[in-house]
Amino acid sequence: MIARLSDRASDRTAPIDSSPLLGQWLNYDVTSRNICQLTLIQRGDAVILRITGVPDVDWGETPASPFALTVSGGDAVAFKAAYDFEFLRVAVLAYLNKRLLVVDAYSTFHDGSGRSSYFARDHFYLR
Amino acid sequence: MRYVRAEDRPPNGDAPPGGRVDPSPMLGTWFATDKQSAGVVKLELAERDGAFVVRAFGAGSPEPVDWGEVPAVAYAKSVVSDEGMAVSATFDFGFLESLLAAYSKGGILVLDTFNTFKDGSGRSAYFSREFFHR
Repeated sequence: MIARLSDRASDRTAPIDSSPLLGQWLNYDVTSRNICQLTLIQRGDAVILRITGVPDVDWGETPASPFALTVSGGDAVAFKAAYDFEFLRVAVLAYLNKRLLVVDAYSTFHDGSGRSSYFARDHFYLR
Repeated sequence: MRYVRAEDRPPNGDAPPGGRVDPSPMLGTWFATDKQSAGVVKLELAERDGAFVVRAFGAGSPEPVDWGEVPAVAYAKSVVSDEGMAVSATFDFGFLESLLAAYSKGGILVLDTFNTFKDGSGRSAYFSREFFHR
């Protein structure tokens, strides 16, 4: 079954190789008010994300799901992950672009504070 | 007020706008800039009975595949803005789950999709990035 042409199965498939994502990624923008750095590690079959928010808030670890560029698999080019802080949920959606990691954070508050859900983007380089 | 990064705090003691983000700046029908796209070819962003919804169409042959309509979440550029500039929504087809996340900039909607198959077909989870105009 497909929902679009790019869903069609290919003749050859390979497991997703997460290694292009792994390592410590630092924000190019030292004035960012969002994420200072993030680390992706492989633990068994799982990819684990750890984020540090500005100025120095450890978000802890959460599982990350890697994505290839096509249904054929191969090198990971993107990942998604989520943090649930109870008062705040953040979807972390990222992709690689020429060794630059582009990270989008989609944040939604659940504490009645009246703060708007918001989108934030930052760019990271591999240390 | 709890936070996990500086951006979560209203700057200069500004009062939060109330929590509702207005999706109006993003409403309308968006068409893929790539007419040969094998991915999403059209998006309809609308408000229905006060709810923000997204309808998507995937590339198909001979006709696009209507994905139907799902609830969407609108996002502003900061905690003190109520002007929508990004959107997320999830389509669950049973055999496939597609997370759509998009932001608008300069009259263009930039769409990322994160696609995970659940049917044991062996197809890899994959990512796409596509551009849309109204």
